[in-house]
Amino acid sequence: MANTEKTRGGFGAWLLDPKRRGALLVTPAITILFVMNIFPLMWSFGLSFFNYKASSLKVPKFKGFNNYEKVLTDEKVWERFQTTAIIVSSSVIMQLIIGFLMAMLFAKVFPLRRIVLMLVLTPMMLSFVSVGVFFKLFYEPTFGIVSFVLNFFTEERFVLLGSPEGAILGIVIADAWMWSPFVMLLVLAGLVSIPKYLYEAAEIDRASKWRTFWTITFPYIKSLLLLAVLFRTIETFKLFDVVYIITDGGPGSSTETIAVFLYRTAFQFFKTSQSSALAYIVLFIVIVLTNLYLYSVNQRQEEVE
Amino acid sequence: MARKHREIGKAGWGYTAMTSVIGFIYFFPVLWIILTAFKTRTDALAVPPKLFFTPTLDNFTSVFYRASITTGSSQATDMGLYFFNSIFIAGTSVGLALIVGTLAAYAFSRFPLRGNDTYLFIILTTRMMPPIVVIIPIFLMFRLSGLAGTYWGIILLYTAFNIPFSVWLIKSFFDELNPEIEDAARMDGSTESRVFFGFCIPQILAGLSATFVFGLILTWNEFLFALLLTGVETRTVPVAMARTLGGEVGVDYGLLAAIVTLFLIPIFFVTFLLQNQLLRGVTFGTVKK
Amino acid sequence: MTIELKKLTKRFGTLTAVDSVDLTVGDGEVLCLLGPSGCGKTTTLRMVAGLELASEGEVYLGGKNVSDQAARDRNVAMSFQFYALYPSLTVAENLAFPLYGEGLSKTEVDARVARISNTLQLSGILNRKPGQLAEGEKQRVAVGRSIIRDPTCFLFDEPLSRLDVQLREEMRGEIKLVLQDLSRPTVIVTHDQLEALTMADRIAVMRDGKIEQVDTPHNVFQRPKNLFVAGFIGTPQMNLLPATLTASNGASAEFAITGGQTIKIEVDPRISELSPGTKVTLGVRPRNLEISNEPTPDGISSTIDIVEPMGAETLAHLSDGQHDLRLVTDWRVPLNEGDKVHTRFLPGTTHIFTADEQVMRTP
Repeated sequence: MANTEKTRGGFGAWLLDPKRRGALLVTPAITILFVMNIFPLMWSFGLSFFNYKASSLKVPKFKGFNNYEKVLTDEKVWERFQTTAIIVSSSVIMQLIIGFLMAMLFAKVFPLRRIVLMLVLTPMMLSFVSVGVFFKLFYEPTFGIVSFVLNFFTEERFVLLGSPEGAILGIVIADAWMWSPFVMLLVLAGLVSIPKYLYEAAEIDRASKWRTFWTITFPYIKSLLLLAVLFRTIETFKLFDVVYIITDGGPGSSTETIAVFLYRTAFQFFKTSQSSALAYIVLFIVIVLTNLYLYSVNQRQEEVE
Repeated sequence: MARKHREIGKAGWGYTAMTSVIGFIYFFPVLWIILTAFKTRTDALAVPPKLFFTPTLDNFTSVFYRASITTGSSQATDMGLYFFNSIFIAGTSVGLALIVGTLAAYAFSRFPLRGNDTYLFIILTTRMMPPIVVIIPIFLMFRLSGLAGTYWGIILLYTAFNIPFSVWLIKSFFDELNPEIEDAARMDGSTESRVFFGFCIPQILAGLSATFVFGLILTWNEFLFALLLTGVETRTVPVAMARTLGGEVGVDYGLLAAIVTLFLIPIFFVTFLLQNQLLRGVTFGTVKK
Repeated sequence: MTIELKKLTKRFGTLTAVDSVDLTVGDGEVLCLLGPSGCGKTTTLRMVAGLELASEGEVYLGGKNVSDQAARDRNVAMSFQFYALYPSLTVAENLAFPLYGEGLSKTEVDARVARISNTLQLSGILNRKPGQLAEGEKQRVAVGRSIIRDPTCFLFDEPLSRLDVQLREEMRGEIKLVLQDLSRPTVIVTHDQLEALTMADRIAVMRDGKIEQVDTPHNVFQRPKNLFVAGFIGTPQMNLLPATLTASNGASAEFAITGGQTIKIEVDPRISELSPGTKVTLGVRPRNLEISNEPTPDGISSTIDIVEPMGAETLAHLSDGQHDLRLVTDWRVPLNEGDKVHTRFLPGTTHIFTADEQVMRTP
């Protein structure tokens, strides 16, 4: 009795008829995605080739790759890329270290684990705005607790956000604090998927803690760590909210990330086309990173087998 | 007889104490924010910062009621509206994404087309794009079509944000189901819709709730698009929070802290309930394909 | 070097998994813990290893009380049901892993690995990783890893359960050979009685956390102590018929089998201790039943329900109207479904169990 019988039912059956079924079910999702994501993308791609300014009513002229040229040769753009790179790499490294250590901590089952875990997950649940505002307060030389605590060790007030290095540090700390729990969750998921009997075998084999870690634990989480790096890098690349609120790109423009710069170009200077071009360059970079990300995901499939 | 050592992977109260201390230190900034919500204006900006103070609920009332300058009596603020907006918009969009995504995930899982992997990749890529890339056209689109400031505009947008992740995650849940049960149901004469609703959905209900929670966390705190695309009536809380900053008298930290604390409660609660599911969601179902 | 378990008990909350087990395994002896799922055999094994701590009772290895020691201090070797091979190491590295704690030189380690891989025919796959091995190969590596050391005892948790039937037969013989060379006490946990019967020097049959009987395979089969062991050991299962003693006189006794028939068979002399009217259970193995042409006092009449040819033997399901009997006989004996036949109990092969499920037999 092969499964080619017509299923009973009326309209529902017509809709879900094998020939149409797949396509129909997927349609709503694809439509929304298309309208909201893909279409705007194509539009902005198109815009990047004209010299459209949102503030003027002039008909935009076709400029070819002019915008891209302008963007790529703009020194300011490269400066922003550099800033972004510094912030991204510092923050991601911090997230990795903190997240990893916390995951090792929470890998064991202990009483009240659920509650303590919630404490550590909370930073992720705050909105960027609130983190931005309050960390800015914390960093405040007069009112902030950071300065207060450090006062015990040094005499002077501590001004973090005054210098470019300090400002970057301030942003990195806020971002890393927020998202290390995410890395922790990733690594933790890997840690708990390690079969218990492997550890038991190592215990029977009298392996030292270090060997146990290298032989059993690390291989399982290696690809997850890589996943964490790529995903957090991509996300941090887009960093806007925290920077905007804590430093607004300052002092000067030393902490202006690409995202903030883009925002300014588009909405403050209304150089719409140029920002589109820049946005596409950013997108290109992100797509390359995404491919790496997905490649590493596939690696994970094979590895755990 | 007291046994000294423990099973592998388990630990006792000493361990709990240690992790609690670490967790507490990590949690401290959040704690400070919550404390600030109970402080008066002067306490909030006290030099040096105060850990102990007399608490007040003024900030919390101020969230919802503001003394009007003109009439002297208190007036309800729109914060209640903003909270409602956040809940409504986030809930609806994540819910929509869940529905639409489940259908698509079912299709991808059960009726694979030739270019399946490609479609899935493209869907995932849309999530990876920096919002900046689409912000300009979307802003223009919304302005031109009149969607700016409406509920449906922002809801549709957020739905689009949540679809990729939902599809991927839910697909992995469907992949795990045993198709033989469905075939058996079909043999018994069930209609396709009954197979879907009666068999498949109940089995992945847990996974669906995890997807919902995760989408909620991501959408709840969204700021950028909300800033540009919601109007006065449809404003969400993150945007409202930002607006309290540009005040004449400087930032009212107490008030802001109160908003943050209140805003944190729903998401905290939901996350707590579904902790274990979240673990799954984070790895995008890659622990199994 | 012996293993001794004294009143070993393990509780998980309100559930008692292992209930006051006393057991001794002698030097070089292979003991099988046999029983159905959930009987506590694996938990007992893990307590010997130190992976579980006893709620009560003690474990002695080589005369030393190790009950409080962690697994790593007990110097035991264990082979796990799921093999527990380290996925990131090659076979050779897996085998060598346990030796790192013993401070041997590299040449010594290599020599041992070579020796073990020869014994278990692993030489060809030394450079592969567990993910690339077949089930049988994985199992041999797991065994190899546990015997490469010189521990106080060897513990095996369901070593063959994941192999297919053919591999199982092969490996049974191989493992038995390997075990004979080891001179340490060995405990094997299994739910497969055939494994236990072929590999063990003694078998401990367990049920619900308790040991029902500890004896040689032969005795466990021929002289089961109670109803459970009798029914558990032996395939096809022993026939168990409820009956009432009607008369006894030393060498033989008469029983009324529920359903109306009576049977007079040779029994163990102890039966005379029972008074007529006592309810008992008769236990007779399928191969100890015989088809006879005419009715005999030591048989009952029955109808053949189903005939299952098994190759060299035939299994017949008989019914006397009330009870189902299983009978196994040579394939040449003609049996047809529906036939009415007389089934004879071969003399001296019937076990009598009293209402408390214990056997009545002269020790």
